[in-house]
Amino acid sequence: MAAFASLDSETADLIPAGKAHLRDSIQDGARSLETFLASVERKAFRIAQIALRHEADALDVVQDAMMQLSSRYASRPPEEWRPLFYRILENRIRDVQRRRSVRNRVMAYLPWRGEDDEDAVDPIEQAVDKAPLPPAQLESDEAMAALDQAIAGLPARQRQAFLLRNFEGLDVAETASTMKCSQGSVKTHYFRALQALRAKLGEFHT
Amino acid sequence: MTVDPADASGSEFEQRARALLEQSAEQLPGAVRSRLTQARHAALAAQSARAPSFARRWVPAGAAVAAALALLLVYGPQLRDAGENPIANAGLEDIELLTDNDAVPLNGDQDVDDDFYEWAADEAAGAAAPAVGS
Repeated sequence: MAAFASLDSETADLIPAGKAHLRDSIQDGARSLETFLASVERKAFRIAQIALRHEADALDVVQDAMMQLSSRYASRPPEEWRPLFYRILENRIRDVQRRRSVRNRVMAYLPWRGEDDEDAVDPIEQAVDKAPLPPAQLESDEAMAALDQAIAGLPARQRQAFLLRNFEGLDVAETASTMKCSQGSVKTHYFRALQALRAKLGEFHT
Repeated sequence: MTVDPADASGSEFEQRARALLEQSAEQLPGAVRSRLTQARHAALAAQSARAPSFARRWVPAGAAVAAALALLLVYGPQLRDAGENPIANAGLEDIELLTDNDAVPLNGDQDVDDDFYEWAADEAAGAAAPAVGS
């Protein structure tokens, strides 16, 4: 944060003293962008994690989305940031999924596939913690795992509509802007997502 | 196809799902939260670094244009007057004559004998008069 503050003040120092309002505006803009990124980063990570089922990849796509928003769209009105950010995030998620798909097709033809796989699961990291969890926590974790799996199994557009509407709290118009589709399509995707999730998690809400 | 917002089962389901998702976002491991904070700072630093480069590119250019305008304002009227004033133009011609190495020396005839001019005058008069016996 200190590094950012110094860069920000360096930027402001280039503004003539008579243009104090401009300097204040730049500093306010940087602060509001930071506030915005801080407000979306955790949910963005969870959305990416559910879609990619991989923590490191999810962190990478969130960072890419932050970088692209701040470098290209920071000058846009703050009310446009949220739909823009989630559109960038979804594009990055799709890029990773495509790369994986291509890599998996190529790897299927290679005789040494499976050896030296950098994505191999670390058994130590995956080891189940034997410490007993409180019943409520255990129930919550199991429910969360089931919900994660069910959402990840949705078609991409349904998953996107459900997470943006239900989790991120975008309204129909913002979701349509993010997904670059009509509001009617958003409602349809969301409705179908709900139906599919209910079918998989019938006892989930009881 | 319509969505019935009054669907109680759907509302309950949605609320439960939202609560679980928000809880999972709040309970992220410390390492993940740290990485997210670093990513945010990196993005903001990149944005801040971009702004000074823009200013550094245009502030000197603006200063150069301002300096050129100031010079034009100060010396512009003088240059315009020099084009219209004959005295100023004559002064420039005089300087050119004085500095021209190929010009005839203005004091070059000081060493010539006066007899030369008398002889030259007689020759000129003789050439103009008709020759005797012609």
